[in-house]
Amino acid sequence: MAKSNKRSKLTRYLQGFKSDAQFRAGVIGIVLLLLVVALTPVLVTHDAHEFGSLSLGRPGQDGHLLGTNHMGQDVYSMIIEGTSTSLKVAVISSMISAILGILVGGIAGFFGGKTDIVISESINAFLMIPTFFLVLLVIALFGNSITNVMIVIGLTSWPGNAKLMRAQALSLRERTFVKSAVALGETRLQILTKYILPNGIFPVVANTTRGMAGAILTEASLSFLGLGDPNIISWGQMIYAGKNYITTGWWVSTFAGIATIITVVIFYLLGDGMNHVLNPKYSFGKGGGK
Amino acid sequence: MKRYVVKRIFSGLLTVLLVFTLNFVIIKAAPGDPIKTLMGKENSDPQLRAALEEKWGLNQPQYVQYFNYLRNAVQGDLGTSITYNQSVNKLIAEKVGPTVLLGVAAAIVALFIGTAMGIYCARHEGGIGDTIFSGFAYTLDAMPSFWLGLMLILIFASRLGWFPTSSMTDVRAGYTGMRYVADVAYHMVLPCLCLIAITMPGYFRIAKSSVLQVTNEDFITTLRATGMDEGKIFRKYIFRNAILPTITTFGITLAFLITGVTLIEIVFAWPGMGRLTMTAINQRDYPTLLGIYLIVSVAVSLVMILVDIVYALFDPRIRFE
Repeated sequence: MAKSNKRSKLTRYLQGFKSDAQFRAGVIGIVLLLLVVALTPVLVTHDAHEFGSLSLGRPGQDGHLLGTNHMGQDVYSMIIEGTSTSLKVAVISSMISAILGILVGGIAGFFGGKTDIVISESINAFLMIPTFFLVLLVIALFGNSITNVMIVIGLTSWPGNAKLMRAQALSLRERTFVKSAVALGETRLQILTKYILPNGIFPVVANTTRGMAGAILTEASLSFLGLGDPNIISWGQMIYAGKNYITTGWWVSTFAGIATIITVVIFYLLGDGMNHVLNPKYSFGKGGGK
Repeated sequence: MKRYVVKRIFSGLLTVLLVFTLNFVIIKAAPGDPIKTLMGKENSDPQLRAALEEKWGLNQPQYVQYFNYLRNAVQGDLGTSITYNQSVNKLIAEKVGPTVLLGVAAAIVALFIGTAMGIYCARHEGGIGDTIFSGFAYTLDAMPSFWLGLMLILIFASRLGWFPTSSMTDVRAGYTGMRYVADVAYHMVLPCLCLIAITMPGYFRIAKSSVLQVTNEDFITTLRATGMDEGKIFRKYIFRNAILPTITTFGITLAFLITGVTLIEIVFAWPGMGRLTMTAINQRDYPTLLGIYLIVSVAVSLVMILVDIVYALFDPRIRFE
């Protein structure tokens, strides 16, 4: 039962790719981004880490497609290199957030009763925390390595996922196939891992995809406050570095910002597309429902 | 209703305590030492250190410091800033005005524009206006606020020279009275525009989807079948039901605006809470940091409770649960 349920979800994705424009655009966008990461050595025209002699060169000047920054680094090559940073931050931090959310929410919804009340109240309390300030504090005080950034974003963004997972678990445990598993004498842990989690995670997956966009923006914001990892190239840091030269070298901040927007839009499209495709009310007919 | 309100206030208090405890633990566990900053790099005189630690109460065990701080905070005393040697209350009081002014002004404008656009797009779903507005809102939603701020400065301040690039007033002019108000308003245009652009998509999305949802409900179809005027159906039934989620969103954005404003304050050198926070972090000014975070979490909780109460007043289903 659980297996067939999973398969039907997969076919929904396939059908969705054909009929939902947002989902299709998101999938294509992600594939393109991954291609950029894979082909980074081929795509770059200069060593992004190398300080050239041309400071604040205009776009097109001396073979620098998008110009150079104040240190003479090639902006185009930096943007290509920065793609992998953004994707890494997005994937790792939202994985942490998804796993935590699924576990906490799954346990709350499945066990119910007092466990649920305690966990739900904590989730609500966490949802009310101004997380960006918390992230800011931790990164500023404990050091701004990219690993810290990813972990902290993950640790502060799980409550949304937990809330979704809890609702799923609550409804799933009333379903016949879970009840029959209980009657067959399977342990609670088995039921949780075999039936509740695999069947309930789809909305969390869609939410996590949108969360990836949030993680990219948070990393960029931290970098903009001067709290990015100085050892890597990231779009947020390019915007930050270009801030002081906004009047004399507009291209440094501008292009890095455009790259960020494109990537974030791709994750939004994918997340929203998944939500449409997985929504049981969605019809795959002409035009599709919304 | 009374039980509901009491319950909400209780969970609000819980959140504030949770946030405060988290901040306290993080700050105490962090490397970096305010006493070292005060003493200077070269100085390592143990007597001076002991004296400073006693002055700032840092020689007591951690849990004593924790409860002392809480007790003082409940009485309205947030301690003394280590770097400015001024009361934290005063520091925050000076900076909270500009932040609230900027944030609330932007939130209200964004609420009206976003909601109006959302309603328009829902009523003309699939039309050209809907496609353009929806795409526009989608892109704005993906924009880093600080980047948009930089672009606004680049275009409207640097290239066109229409607006000032930074700060809240023209210090050299020293205006008073109405001129001062006009000067602040003039300086506020760009940061406000930036904040509006960032918060507007949220209102747009909520308004559009809830109008669409209510429109598809059965009772609307029934009303249509009775031959009621379409405009009347919208005003009397759709709008009233669809506006509820917007109220919640407005409250939530208002509560979280203070964190969103931080970045924009930095871009435009606006003298508010955001800049105070950044200086406090860089200087390891722990009393100021704890004070700011406490005030922010209290504000967020208060607004959230208010939102829930307003919502319950509008929607009897919650009240009687």
